[in-house]
Amino acid sequence: MEKARVDLPPKGGFSFDLCRRNEMLTKKGLQLPGFRKTGTTIVGLIFEDGVILGADTRATEGPIVADKNCEKIHYMAPNIYCCGAGTAADTEAVTDMVSSQLQLHRYATRRESRVITALTLLKSHLFSYQGHVSAALVLGGVDITGPHLHTVYPHGSTDTLPFATMGSGSLAAMAVFESKYKEGLTREDGIQLVGEAICSGIFNDLGSGSNVDVCVITKGKTDYLRNHQLPNPRTYISSRGYSFDRGHTEVLSTKITPLKLKAEVVENDAMEE
Amino acid sequence: MKLDASGLQTFAPHRADPDNLYPDLSAPPSFDLPGCPDFDGFQKKAIQMVKPAKGTTTLAFIFNEGVIVAADSRASMGGYISSQTVKKIIEINPYMIGTMAGGAADCQFWHRNLGIKCRLHELANKRRISVTGASKLLANILYSYRGMGLSVGTMIAGWDETGPALYYVDSEGGRLKGKRFSVGSGSPYAYGVLDSGYRSDLSIEEAAELARRAIYHATFRDGASGGVASVYHVGPNGWKKLSGDDVGELHYKYYPVVPAIVEHEMADAPPA
Amino acid sequence: MSIFEYNGSALVAMVGKNCFAIASDRRLGVQLQTVATDFRRIYRIHDKVYIGLSGLATDAQTLYQRLVFRHKLYQLREERDMKPETFASLVSSILYEKRFGPYFCQPVIAGLGDDDQPFICTMDCLGAKELAKDFVVSGSASESLYGACESMYKPDMEPEELFENISQALLASVDRDCLSGWGGHVFLVTPSEVQERTLKGRMD
Repeated sequence: MEKARVDLPPKGGFSFDLCRRNEMLTKKGLQLPGFRKTGTTIVGLIFEDGVILGADTRATEGPIVADKNCEKIHYMAPNIYCCGAGTAADTEAVTDMVSSQLQLHRYATRRESRVITALTLLKSHLFSYQGHVSAALVLGGVDITGPHLHTVYPHGSTDTLPFATMGSGSLAAMAVFESKYKEGLTREDGIQLVGEAICSGIFNDLGSGSNVDVCVITKGKTDYLRNHQLPNPRTYISSRGYSFDRGHTEVLSTKITPLKLKAEVVENDAMEE
Repeated sequence: MKLDASGLQTFAPHRADPDNLYPDLSAPPSFDLPGCPDFDGFQKKAIQMVKPAKGTTTLAFIFNEGVIVAADSRASMGGYISSQTVKKIIEINPYMIGTMAGGAADCQFWHRNLGIKCRLHELANKRRISVTGASKLLANILYSYRGMGLSVGTMIAGWDETGPALYYVDSEGGRLKGKRFSVGSGSPYAYGVLDSGYRSDLSIEEAAELARRAIYHATFRDGASGGVASVYHVGPNGWKKLSGDDVGELHYKYYPVVPAIVEHEMADAPPA
Repeated sequence: MSIFEYNGSALVAMVGKNCFAIASDRRLGVQLQTVATDFRRIYRIHDKVYIGLSGLATDAQTLYQRLVFRHKLYQLREERDMKPETFASLVSSILYEKRFGPYFCQPVIAGLGDDDQPFICTMDCLGAKELAKDFVVSGSASESLYGACESMYKPDMEPEELFENISQALLASVDRDCLSGWGGHVFLVTPSEVQERTLKGRMD
């Protein structure tokens, strides 16, 4: 039976079969690569009708800006979103995984997901990996019990706060929140303050940059304001770019393959006699 | 007449005398030591941090008509190509040239220093220094700095009263006399071509072509070699640069491209 | 030395108007020694989806075989080809499965989706997707490629213009990298045909 087992992982989960080889390679002096990180500013606050989340849009790989406009506010449920900082693959995977668990839970219970459910799923996963899954999150949402804002640390500890910041730009952003946050902010003032906090991260933290994403969650309604502010437009490129004449590049060989049209088979009941 | 014994002097570095910041040129060179307890460790780390021009292909050989010296022109730092137009053949005087492999700064500085010493020898003794003597000067200096982080792999080629001469000198203190040498990361490839095509009765043109080919093949296989293959010849009247060919073009000269026809793969005929 | 620099590679994909191009260098090396100059890193998954795998060649080939296998299973089960977005998610999940013992591969995925909308994407070796609208790069020459593409790319290029643009960006970049180059490979995919070209480049 074992012989017939295919390559597919039956239940999911991690595979550790390359660990020994990779460890051997490091011992031989080969450096393991750096992973894509979101050296980040992510924030969240509670205002009078709900929760506002904010994030910058820079992804880095070492000193290189790998993505100038990435999405760091992840969907968890229609009424819950989550900002991620840390190793990009981990934040992406952990939020995706929990969001599908929430979806299944909704199918089973036919009730709106609660923020506390998402929080428990996240922290129990992160705790079980003892900080090796390096995701630092700001989780926000509005459920039947009202608005909630939490921060989740890579080792699985959590906080419940009226305003929160995370990532490498968290200090810059927290400075803004500490001086200007008050209870019962209006929607406009809340968005304004989140924008200010993110901009403070963008301009004062080297790991954060580019644009401001904002997500406003209120009872029964979620507004994802992608690229709410664009404080760093490109100014350095010529409008036309470079033009090369046709045939400028020297070509050794060319092979042209026309693509066949795929015939579409329309299925209908008449054929199933 | 004073005997020139500068080659025998020790060059162990000492703290420079603050009152005498500009010692005369004939004095042996010395550096200020950095003020740290572990000098060797500091030196090794510093070298690892900035180590340009590590990969190289240089070669030289003696034949009946003199000496041929050739080199590529790439300088690299890790995987990055910092220059494609480095002059790796250093002219010491009209009758003697040296090649550069290892640390660019180390090679350039000590060749310039050797040039000064050779000229001073010439002024003191009213005759040109022999290649044997010059290479020994360099080898002695390098030996005195042994284990302190210098990285030099050089060939000294020239023509003196005894005819053509060729020496290999490195920062480990080695000094070898020989007919054929190649130094640098591309040297195994260059040796392959050189050894298979070498005869002592080559004409100058044939010898230059052999050197060029050896450099080209080394640049092809070795990632850290490339740029321009320059070839020098040293004869009884001194050295002369014979050629400098871009190996990017050289490849297509050795292996011309057959004009390719555009290959069309036909789509299946539509079923009737 | 980083494991990504063991074999050396340069990969780039660019988007044009209803078309895309994906290009790579042709060198396979073992550190500084060039072993092959006709190596392929770009693989066809189906007519309209291509994947380039930079990094450690042994992992690239293993990963490619697993991807082909999974794509064939999908074809059998679904009786259709994968959309580029779906394929990117498949690659991402296969990579993330090995989060604590990764394949040393940085994939570049390019494809034409429904309505012939071009799709390009790259990932790190853990499978963190980066979707871009303009161009993506990877490999040991990625830093020079970022620079070249950042200045050469312009939106809505026609196929031929796109070919010139991506080729020049590739050739210019690999000339500053010891570990990649030795010619280039370009796939130019339009809704009606695929043009596969080999480029003449410096062989040092």
